[in-house]
Amino acid sequence: MSKPKLAIFDFTCCEGCQLQIVNLEEEILNLISLVNPVEWREAMSEHIGNYDIALIEGSITRPEDEEKLRRIRKRAKILVALGSCASTGGVNKLKNNFDLQEVKHCVYGQAADMPHLHTAPTKAIDEVVQVDYKIYGCPIDRREFAYIVRCLALGKSPEIPDYPVCVECKLQENICRYEYDEICLGPVTRAGCGARCPSCATWCFGCRGHIEEPNLSAAKEIMVRYGKTFQDLKNRMNIFGSKQRYADE
Amino acid sequence: MSNQDIYVPQPATLLKKQPMTEYETFYEFKLDSGCELGHGPGQFLEISVPGIGEAPISISSSPTQAGIFQMVVRRVGNVTTALSKLGPGDKVGVRGPFGTKFPVDEVMKGKDILLVCGGIGLVPVRSAINYILDNRRDYGRLTILYGVKTPADRLFAEELAQWKATPEVTVLETVDRGDEAWDGHVGVITTLLPLVQINPAQTIAVICGPPVMYRFVLKELAKMAMEDESIFVSLERRMKCGVGKCGHCQMNDLYVCQKGPVFKYSEIKEVMEAI
Amino acid sequence: MSIKKLDQAALDTWVNKLIANQSVYGVQAKGERFAFGPLSKAEDLRLDYDVTILPPKKYFQPQREDLLEFNAKGEYTSVTETEPFILFGVHPYDVVAIAQMDTIFSADNYDVHYMTRRHNATIVACDVQNASANVFAGCMNTATVTKGFDLLLTKIGEFYLAEAKTPKGEKLLTDLPGGLEPGNLDLARREQVWKDNTGLLRKHKLKCNPQELPGLLEKSYYAPVWEAKAKLCFSCGSCNLVCPTCYCFDVQDDVNWDLQSGKRTRAWDGCLLKDFAAVAGGHNFRSSRTDRYRHRFYRKAKYVAEKLNQIACVGCGRCISACVPKIANPVEVFNELL
Repeated sequence: MSKPKLAIFDFTCCEGCQLQIVNLEEEILNLISLVNPVEWREAMSEHIGNYDIALIEGSITRPEDEEKLRRIRKRAKILVALGSCASTGGVNKLKNNFDLQEVKHCVYGQAADMPHLHTAPTKAIDEVVQVDYKIYGCPIDRREFAYIVRCLALGKSPEIPDYPVCVECKLQENICRYEYDEICLGPVTRAGCGARCPSCATWCFGCRGHIEEPNLSAAKEIMVRYGKTFQDLKNRMNIFGSKQRYADE
Repeated sequence: MSNQDIYVPQPATLLKKQPMTEYETFYEFKLDSGCELGHGPGQFLEISVPGIGEAPISISSSPTQAGIFQMVVRRVGNVTTALSKLGPGDKVGVRGPFGTKFPVDEVMKGKDILLVCGGIGLVPVRSAINYILDNRRDYGRLTILYGVKTPADRLFAEELAQWKATPEVTVLETVDRGDEAWDGHVGVITTLLPLVQINPAQTIAVICGPPVMYRFVLKELAKMAMEDESIFVSLERRMKCGVGKCGHCQMNDLYVCQKGPVFKYSEIKEVMEAI
Repeated sequence: MSIKKLDQAALDTWVNKLIANQSVYGVQAKGERFAFGPLSKAEDLRLDYDVTILPPKKYFQPQREDLLEFNAKGEYTSVTETEPFILFGVHPYDVVAIAQMDTIFSADNYDVHYMTRRHNATIVACDVQNASANVFAGCMNTATVTKGFDLLLTKIGEFYLAEAKTPKGEKLLTDLPGGLEPGNLDLARREQVWKDNTGLLRKHKLKCNPQELPGLLEKSYYAPVWEAKAKLCFSCGSCNLVCPTCYCFDVQDDVNWDLQSGKRTRAWDGCLLKDFAAVAGGHNFRSSRTDRYRHRFYRKAKYVAEKLNQIACVGCGRCISACVPKIANPVEVFNELL
């Protein structure tokens, strides 16, 4: 059996998810023994060929990136969104809460109108092309990444949790962040990270996005019981939840 | 006390495999131990494909067919997709048989039999059909009602034809949507029931099909004066462990992997989560 | 069986001696709360704890455990742990819960994974010294225990009484240096602790006898409380996961990098989670929050209860503390149904 051809492409992001792959350390040798990495950085325009698995990191913020992504999709048997920016738009979607011109001026100052700095509202990968699997997280979880790659190489669809972070937080025997008077997004956020943030004594930022059926009306209602306001909750949810499916509820 | 691990599958080898429809494939296995599976019609197995996982699959062959066992599997999840990629000689793991049986050796004996099957519901019921045909004198009239979505979804087409040609066996088929070649009945499964004549006191009915089907068929059977004690249903649930521990198949207080999948309707009529 | 009286210094010496000989898991502080963990020295042991975040069932049914290994030939072999250990400081309500789980995993299909660990365990129970905020063991007849452990520690004033209940417990006592023989007054003080605890461990008061609960639920299937409470349910399964009598599990395979050999593991699961009853084809047999919410109470006080002939809620109060929207309190729900 020939090794599946794996390509990684990055769009608008910090490349922290790719760094997580590099951080697999010894495991990366196992990864390379399993797949054949054919592209690992831009340069794709020079290459012709198909990929068994294309990993897409980052979100789409320029029209020309949409074109590039469509071309990758055409060549990829399986297309996987890698990390929050690609899967949900992530923090990049904060931008969509504001006027684009304002955002540009804020970031680039006087240079804002230079042609190479043009920008469009942020899109997650699946707003442009069909996505087969999403590896959530900011950054991705290395163990989960390795598991998903093994599954794909085996032709198996990986089990990606659709239950809240609370599940993994309980398994870790953490003290609930609500006991510390904090607003934690764990109850509405997709698990898979092993409750990384609450295990390090901080609230869940919701980087993996919502579970499929988040009980947001409950989240709203309990704020009062914990002496918080709906706005407090919204502020937290804006970080990774801006312009998401339930953002306006 | 026993040190046997109830979760360890025993090896079995795939002998034959044949696609039946776009999504369903027929499989024939034998246990590597050379032993008989020892199942009864209606029971299920936990089938393992190494590295992929384990899934509950109903047995489709009759215990009267010695040396082998058969299944028909719809490709819906990881295990069933992996099965579809196996070839003759490949190994799977088997645990079971688990669960209750159609009462072919008990109340069904001496009775007329009415089998109402929807879609892949025919798969476990086929085990009972062949058992009955192999012990023909023990039973009265056999009526098989079979409904599928489209003609392309029909399972066991050759056997359906054979059963139709067997004396004292009635087979009525329907499809939800026909095609150009289909000149048979069109309509949901319940539209077949008024076409059959039964003696309710002398009949045992069996229902097996998609979750939505049961309520409607039961209603029709009640109209035909069938007693709840004479109706058996085979129910699908997520039977993950097969041994009454993992909890996934539970409907109210009943573990379907142990108390089912075959239930006497009168015994689950009051079980809210059953139907 | 013998009974000894010992002071704190003797207890510490004893515990350190036990640690030197085998693995000991005991209750220790975790932030402002408590958890069972590997004990490395006696001074870390906190027998004055109120309740642990997770129950000690994690030593018999770990959060995640390997069930089987498979090799490239597709052969499966059982994986079982074999090391003996001591579980030190188990509260009476948890002792009752462990006894219930023993029945679940041994009767009617023997689970060798759970039972091997269970047989390897020596359970040192400990009467409650400080009631937790939400405990209601007093209402569930689980504030004290007379069986289900190997040795029982009870604090009386500055001393502990240690009574062996089984040969395993008796063996532990042989390692105890300088234990005193308790007098009648000591035994009377222990009786008083048991009496007091039955009254003290009632932070929530069940307004009926627990034996009446199955009958109460029998007629409450359509009560409005289920939907009213479930509206706030996050379906996060926290109430399941911290429960000493929840035992449902999920099973998954993962392969090694050769894609052929690997492990089949099982992990805690919870009936409150959305996909708990969903089948491969996509149909979810318990898709509504209300149905899932109700199911837990029926398991505790009717379904499993009728199987065990004992209510499967021991009143530890962990679910009450773990539930962010504060809807998991069994006492509140049962009282509302009365």
